[in-house]
Amino acid sequence: MIPKSVSAPVRAIPLLAILLVALAVHGPLLLMQLPANSYDANTHIFFAGHYANHWFSPWNEKWFGGMSQTTYPPLTHQWIALFSHTFGLTGAYMVVQLIVILLLPVGMYRYALLWIPEREASYAALGTVFLGSLAMLVYQSGQLPTTTAAALTLNALPYFYSWTRDGRGMQLLKGVAISMAGAAAHHVTFLFGAILFALPVLWLSVLDRKLSGRGSSVVGVLVRAVVFGAAILGAAILVLLPYFMSLRQNPISQLPIPHGSRDNYILSPHSGINFWIIPMGALILAIPYILFRGSAERRLRPLLFGWYLTTLLGLGGTTPVGRVLLGRAYEVLTFERFTFWATLMAMPIVGLLAKELVDRWGRRGILLLGVSAVYSCAMAVAWVVFNPINSGDFRVQPVIDFLNREDHAKYRYITLGFGNQFAKVSTYANAGSLDGDYNSARLLPELTAYGAGQLYNSKYYGTAGMESLRAILKHADQYGLRYIFVRDRYYEPLLAFAGWRQAEIYDNGATSLWTKDDVPPAKHIDFGNVVPPAWQGVMWGIVPVSASLLALIVVLIPNRRRSINTINFPASQETTEISLREAQ
Amino acid sequence: MNKILPAVLIVLAAALVAAATIRSSALAPATTPEGAVQSLLGHVKNHDAPAAYRYVAKQSNTPFPDFLRDVFGQDSNLRTYSSLQVFNTRVLHEDDREASVRASLQWASAVGAVYDTRDMKVVREDTGWKVIWPVAVQPKVPPQVIPVNYLRWDIVTRGSDDDWGAQNVDAPRVRIISMNPVEKDGNFILLGEIENEDTVPGFVSVQATLIGKDGESIAQEESFDKISHILLPKEVSPFRIDFPNMSRDRVQSVHLQPNAMLVAASADPVIGVLHQALQKDSSGHAVLVGELLNQSGQTVNIPHVLATFYDNAGKVIWVSDGYVDQSLAPQTPVAFSIGVRDDLAAQVHTYRVTVNQYSRDRIQ
Repeated sequence: MIPKSVSAPVRAIPLLAILLVALAVHGPLLLMQLPANSYDANTHIFFAGHYANHWFSPWNEKWFGGMSQTTYPPLTHQWIALFSHTFGLTGAYMVVQLIVILLLPVGMYRYALLWIPEREASYAALGTVFLGSLAMLVYQSGQLPTTTAAALTLNALPYFYSWTRDGRGMQLLKGVAISMAGAAAHHVTFLFGAILFALPVLWLSVLDRKLSGRGSSVVGVLVRAVVFGAAILGAAILVLLPYFMSLRQNPISQLPIPHGSRDNYILSPHSGINFWIIPMGALILAIPYILFRGSAERRLRPLLFGWYLTTLLGLGGTTPVGRVLLGRAYEVLTFERFTFWATLMAMPIVGLLAKELVDRWGRRGILLLGVSAVYSCAMAVAWVVFNPINSGDFRVQPVIDFLNREDHAKYRYITLGFGNQFAKVSTYANAGSLDGDYNSARLLPELTAYGAGQLYNSKYYGTAGMESLRAILKHADQYGLRYIFVRDRYYEPLLAFAGWRQAEIYDNGATSLWTKDDVPPAKHIDFGNVVPPAWQGVMWGIVPVSASLLALIVVLIPNRRRSINTINFPASQETTEISLREAQ
Repeated sequence: MNKILPAVLIVLAAALVAAATIRSSALAPATTPEGAVQSLLGHVKNHDAPAAYRYVAKQSNTPFPDFLRDVFGQDSNLRTYSSLQVFNTRVLHEDDREASVRASLQWASAVGAVYDTRDMKVVREDTGWKVIWPVAVQPKVPPQVIPVNYLRWDIVTRGSDDDWGAQNVDAPRVRIISMNPVEKDGNFILLGEIENEDTVPGFVSVQATLIGKDGESIAQEESFDKISHILLPKEVSPFRIDFPNMSRDRVQSVHLQPNAMLVAASADPVIGVLHQALQKDSSGHAVLVGELLNQSGQTVNIPHVLATFYDNAGKVIWVSDGYVDQSLAPQTPVAFSIGVRDDLAAQVHTYRVTVNQYSRDRIQ
């Protein structure tokens, strides 16, 4: 840790207080289960539901006629599954999300200490609680794995810094253990986010190498970075081996699926508001300060460049940067997470700004910061409420009841116009569906060949979506697709012409059931060798969750006590002897 | 560095944003006939009707509401369920004052992709090239009473808990009365007709399984929307089953499975087919044209035309279908046109048109 500044006029905010604020802000929202209606929450709950019932089985028949659970890193899902036996699936999701939200300011505090003194770092950590981008990911996108991996990455970075600068083995072990857990939580963060975060820290290590008592050389720092990279790559391959094997066997070759975060935010203002203005919140006002302060101080420049590049990537199609740098991956990734990472990277410099405002204007400065922070968080939560991502919550229990009644589970079903409520149906229904909410797990050619996403959203994908739906309906007999639940009358003409008949209505006619009675019961679909073998199921059930436990254990191992001196930041001319400057 | 670096970063960001954003004004006057058509269709694609209407020539005599109705639909017709996805244009003729441009359009609709070709006349006006967009005037039908005296079959079930179709009554007798396998463009296609021989209505479909040379099943498809699913007593429907990328050489035999189920049905709405004729369209392709007349008193939202073509021996040689993007208002004729294979047009001796329909307020 950076020692307390001797001359600091005001003390840092205690970490416990920051955690209490995080609990006070997000606890009630999570108790209200606000994320339950987010884009992806039901998807993660669906994955977790499988682990809750079949921990060691990697094959899930409930989506796409069959899919491998190893196509998505399992850590958060498995923790939800474990907690679900106490809190239920939805409650467990909220518990895990709350833990992640608490972990995030801790990670930010430790990450910010790399760049700024303790007091400013505490401001940065407190600000993280109120980030609009965090609120959007939690309450609109439901990207629990992304927030988990980001929190773990932030917590791992100080060890990366310490290892590359000083070369102490325990720091390597701790960093790799946390990174391994991060990879088990979310692969995209591991592949892209960790690099964006790590490169500025590596640069900082190079700049700070002389501060180390060991006087590391640039080459030494870089070699240790390579060692760290190789170690976490090996650890990630170990922890996600079934995922990589699945990816190798069945590469993501489907056509790109449109996503608003790839829009040009100026030409598509709604996307701009949703994916940039609201997530950035009051941080937009801080951009000039970030640019000037980040440029002014040598130690902050790596962070400035990292933030700048990540911000450009987060702008999606508003600049050509993403398309040029990411190539084919640009069409697969979504970019709201880049904006989240950019806001995280901005926080250390924003911590400096906060300190200046407090020092200069006292209570008025605190009031301004408080209003800005609350505005950012509240606007994001309000945006989710006033700009709902679907037509609203509706009761899916009658649908679930129908599918679990009599022999209906012998057939497959799809939903049309259900939005993210489809995943909720599929979590609790015994019947399997040909649709699913995780595009990369799809194997049926009718789903992968058209460049459309979920069947329940077919109309939003234009010709591609409707042709994909037609292709599935044409093969209803082969796949045992007998039941179609419709909550959007747009789809009725196709069903009527294709030979389905309306059989029941629910919710005062808002939802209808269409059936095709000559469809035979569903049979197991033979996907060949893409079904993971049993050993992968065992590995998948043991290694990722063990990685998280290992991370917890090694982080609890205390560091050796050393004598440390304090420094001011920026280091004053008079401070000449620094025996240790460390953040962990 | 204190000021240069942020300035450089700001300028770089602005340049990058500009590079991805700045384009020529979408509302600029068209300088070429093809540009006018592309601008109009581009705005239709973006659902921007007022902007699209800026490129409609005054001499079209098309008021904005009529243009809106023609492009974006009304009465829950197929066009209201459609959006323009892709278009390609080609200049057929051009001089200083006017030009002719052919547009190939692909609409995403509720029933799948709908393809259309439209030849548009483009004229030069003071404010640039404009497209003549004529809209057929909808005739006003005088107030009248339409007697409802059609046949109707209801079904009494054991209870509301029964699944549809599980009434434990005999299925209607249906029979495939003709079948003709053909190969076209690498696809194997089964054509034929199915008849409801019973005295009760049936909900029918036809499933086909191809048996390979080794006696194993090699493909399975069904009639899908290329059949009239509800057949009244003694009614005949054509069917067509497509096997994409299937060579006839691989097929040893075909197993056809007609499925039928007793359902409630009615003869309403009655849709007449008038003035049928085989013609060539503007591209020189054979088409079957005619008019549909809704003889009942309620609007049919989406008509679907099925045409069966016979040779001089009475054998089914082709089955075509097409969705009509206008709704059928009562007693108001609406034109239709469906494609015929050019290589078969000369062999067509007779043809028969049947009409399926979707009415939003009358789902059976």
